[in-house]
Amino acid sequence: MLVLWFPIDYNSHVPVYKQIKEKIKEMIVKGHLKEGQFVPSIRVLAKDIGVNVNTVARAYRELATEGVIKPIKGEGYVVASLNTDEFFKEKLQTLREILSNLKEQGISKKEVETILKEVFGGDICDP
Amino acid sequence: MILKVENLVKKYGSLEAVKGISFEIDRGEVFSIVGPNGAGKTTTIKCITGLRNPTSGNIVLNGAYSYLPEEKRLYKSYTIEKMLEISGYVSKYFDKKRAYEFIKRFKLPLDEKVANLSHGMMTQLYLAIVFSEDVDLYILDEPTWGLDPVIRNEVLEIIREMAMNGKSFLITTHILPEVEKITDKVAIMKDGSFVEMDYLDELKEKYVAVVVEVNKRVEGGYLYKTTSQEKVYIVEKERAKGDYQPVDFETIFQALVKGEKK
Repeated sequence: MLVLWFPIDYNSHVPVYKQIKEKIKEMIVKGHLKEGQFVPSIRVLAKDIGVNVNTVARAYRELATEGVIKPIKGEGYVVASLNTDEFFKEKLQTLREILSNLKEQGISKKEVETILKEVFGGDICDP
Repeated sequence: MILKVENLVKKYGSLEAVKGISFEIDRGEVFSIVGPNGAGKTTTIKCITGLRNPTSGNIVLNGAYSYLPEEKRLYKSYTIEKMLEISGYVSKYFDKKRAYEFIKRFKLPLDEKVANLSHGMMTQLYLAIVFSEDVDLYILDEPTWGLDPVIRNEVLEIIREMAMNGKSFLITTHILPEVEKITDKVAIMKDGSFVEMDYLDELKEKYVAVVVEVNKRVEGGYLYKTTSQEKVYIVEKERAKGDYQPVDFETIFQALVKGEKK
C-alpha cells in the first residue's frame, strides 16, 4: 500500500509548506512516487495531513516552479523530474552540519565510522 | 473579499481599545487574531458584528455571518433539542439537519438541559448551532474554550473542512498551537494595534533569534529574554547581523507581544 500520510511538526521553525515540499521530494527519491504518477490532489493531501488547502497549494506551486511536479490541466499534478543532485547536496549539507556539531562535542571519527559501517555495510575504505 | 476592515478605531471614553487596524479576509480564508487578554480582540469583533459602534473607520461585509461570542450563554432551562428547534425559528440560515449531525458528532445528549452542561459541552453546543448556519463568514471568539484536546482537534478539523468548501473564518484565540493548525493569515494584536500581520509560514521565515552580550542591544529587535549574561532578541532576518537562529511561532509571538522594540 502506498503510504502518503506524514506528520507535520507545528512546533518546528520550519514553515509547514516547506515541510510538505521536503516530504514530497523524499517520496520521489525513495521511489514511493514515480515519474508520471499523480501526486494527491491539494484537497486530499490537505485533509489527510490536516493542514490548510492554501498551504498545500503553496507547496505544490513551488514544487511546480522547481520542475519537480507539473500541472495537468484540470486533473492535478504529476511527478515530473527531481534534480536529485540538488536534493542530495542539501541533505549532505545537513549531515555536514550534524557531523561538525558532533565533532565539537567530542565524538571521535572512529565512532562515526562505526555507524557508517552499520548503515552502509562493508569496509568504508573500500570503493 | 468577504470582509474588509479599514482603520478601525474604538474608544471607550479616554481609553482607546482599538487603534486603527486594517485587514481583509478572502473567501475560504482562515484569519486569526491572537494576542494577550485586553489587546482589543473582542472589541474588534464586536465592532464588526455591530454590537459596538466604531468610533471611526470602515467595515465592509460581503455576505452573511454567524457569530460565536466570547461568553457562551444559552437559555438554561431549555434542553439541547429545544435549543436547536428555536435556532431554526430565529435564523433563516439555520440548517437543522446539520445541527443534529453535529450534536451526534459531538456526542451531546439531546434531552439534557443547557443548565447542566459543562463549559466544554456548552461551547460544543454553541459551535454546533453556529456551524449549522449556512453563511459566508464565521466569526468565532475563543472557539475552543473549555474543550478537551480530542474535541478541540475535531473542531479544528471542522473549521478546516468548511474553509476548504469556501467558507471564511475570523477567529480570536490565545491558544497558539490551534492557530498554527488552521490559520492562513495571522495578526498579532497588542494594546489595540496589530504589531504584525502575515501568513503564518511567512512569519516563521521573516524572524530569527539573535543572541548578544547582556550590555548590548539589537537595533530594531524585540527583546525576548534576558539571561544572566546574554540577551535574546527576535529580529527580522535582514536586520540580523552575524549568527542567528530560526525560531518557532510561539517565540515570535512572545517576543512581539512582550518585547519592547528597541
